[in-house]
Amino acid sequence: MTAVKELSGARTVPEQTRARYPDATGYAERDGVRLFWERYGDGEPTLFLLPTWSIVHARFWKAQIPYLARHYRVLTFDGRGNGRSDRPAGAGAYTEREFAADALAVLDATATRRAVLVSLSCGALWATLLAADHPDRVTGSFYLCPAVGLAPPHPERAVHSFMEPLDTDDGWARYNQHYWLRDYRGFLEFFFGHCLTEPHSTKQHEDCVGWALGIAPGTLVDSQQGLLLCGLERFRESCARVRCPVLVVHGDEDAIRPHAQGAALAEATGGRLVTLAGSGHLPQARDPVRVNLLVREFVESLGGPAR
Amino acid sequence: MTLTMAAHDPARAARPGEQGEVERDGVRVCWERYGDGEPTVLLLPTWSIVHSRHWKAQIPYLARHLRVLTFDGRGNGRSGRPPTAGAYDDAEYVADALAVLDASATERAVLVGLSRGGRWAAGLAAARPERVLGAVLIDPAIAFVAPPHPGPVYPFDEELDTAEGWAKFNRHYWCRDYRGFLEFFAGQAFSETHSTKQIEDMVEWGLETTAETLVLTQLGAQPGSRAEVETILRAVRCPVLVVHGDDDRVRPHAAGAAVAELTGGTLVTIGGGGHCPQARHPVRVNLLLREFAESLGRRAT
Repeated sequence: MTAVKELSGARTVPEQTRARYPDATGYAERDGVRLFWERYGDGEPTLFLLPTWSIVHARFWKAQIPYLARHYRVLTFDGRGNGRSDRPAGAGAYTEREFAADALAVLDATATRRAVLVSLSCGALWATLLAADHPDRVTGSFYLCPAVGLAPPHPERAVHSFMEPLDTDDGWARYNQHYWLRDYRGFLEFFFGHCLTEPHSTKQHEDCVGWALGIAPGTLVDSQQGLLLCGLERFRESCARVRCPVLVVHGDEDAIRPHAQGAALAEATGGRLVTLAGSGHLPQARDPVRVNLLVREFVESLGGPAR
Repeated sequence: MTLTMAAHDPARAARPGEQGEVERDGVRVCWERYGDGEPTVLLLPTWSIVHSRHWKAQIPYLARHLRVLTFDGRGNGRSGRPPTAGAYDDAEYVADALAVLDASATERAVLVGLSRGGRWAAGLAAARPERVLGAVLIDPAIAFVAPPHPGPVYPFDEELDTAEGWAKFNRHYWCRDYRGFLEFFAGQAFSETHSTKQIEDMVEWGLETTAETLVLTQLGAQPGSRAEVETILRAVRCPVLVVHGDDDRVRPHAAGAAVAELTGGTLVTIGGGGHCPQARHPVRVNLLLREFAESLGRRAT
């Protein structure tokens, strides 16, 4: 149980200082699961920076919040499974429907009628559900490096089973629940190494590994199994129902999710695609100025009345 | 509709509102202005191992609130590279700063200087108090006021039989392996973790000049005694803020503390900070600069 010892150590690390602190914080509660939200700024419209996979918490938006909050009202929340939100057990607690319902609960708890959604990677699943099912609450959807099954994965990722024990720990064989329970940090180092392919990513890598160490590997297994429950046909059907303006931004060197997935999402939602040349899977962390300006440009393009 | 954004776009977060150049004794000095708030902040050059982009993490923020001037110090960037050591005297850099104030029609400014730039800021504040609202000296390179870091002292001018550590701070080594020196020095200047980009920047900017030019900057006249330094520092009458990292491996923190005392200024210590906190602790430094400048701007109006 070395991993558990590391975990308790990680929790005692004091939080880093922030360029900007929230103006309001609180919890939304759904079926006994508490969700920690933060609000920054009070401009118009509201930008809702959604959680992504529970391997990290809302601080993955830290390079966006101070800039965007100068212009808009910015909401974030820790996705269930990480940060100051609860960590319910079982794969069923981590489906895209649960995350979408959580997001709606946060909108309600903060008295937010409508918002522009901003999502990263897996966040695309719940952003799409929200936009499709609650068009009255969503005025636009900005996707970064969406993790969607609309195009094939990188071939090297399709080789190994997540569920079955493997006889190798090489490369993407580490994306395996048994390996996670055996060498959680080893997986994190591998995974974030592939997320952050740009040079000079040491700080972002350290941040992500640190956030991921704030949860137990078993929780990450639950969250991954929950994501695997998301059916492709159901997702395709949701995409077709998205009516709001959409912008998809995807790095062409994303080693986690191929650029073709972003392109396919743009097509499926009738959205626009911006390709970030040379970018990996976390451009919000490694190209924050470009990403921030794109978000702002997108928000401004939505115009006043639609807000 | 699709759009591709280039990977290594040399774009800046803020672009200058105005660019200009002044010439003194045939040496061209290129300056830039960003923003038009009040008061004006003149971000001075430092040692010509780098040019004015060393302020790149300050400019976009400060320019939203203040009027910001920068210029490339002679010896690097777009400014001239005069071929004699005398052209790199402290007095020349101070005179360049004044010339930039004149050329940009700036009556008075808050001076901000890093390392050698801190020394020049003190020199300008002492010599021309009517042009200076206040001075921020960041990890100032001011000798004689505190003991240097312990360790062997190597002569700059002589051929050495070692190139270990600070023995690389030697003109012959520079001319033999300039990049080797730049990488060593950047490694010392950036003692913080996660400094790979800042180290790469410094090495690249260093390569925009030559070992031979950098040797000349080292041979230019600088204060040569404690008495000389004290005279300058005690003559500074404007408000002074000294910012110094307590892990500065180039210039000891004790020197910054002594400078604060001699100028009657305030000392802010950056815990864990190295020699270039403006690059590695930009938010902290930016907030300090803005607070300091705005307090003086209010006083002036």
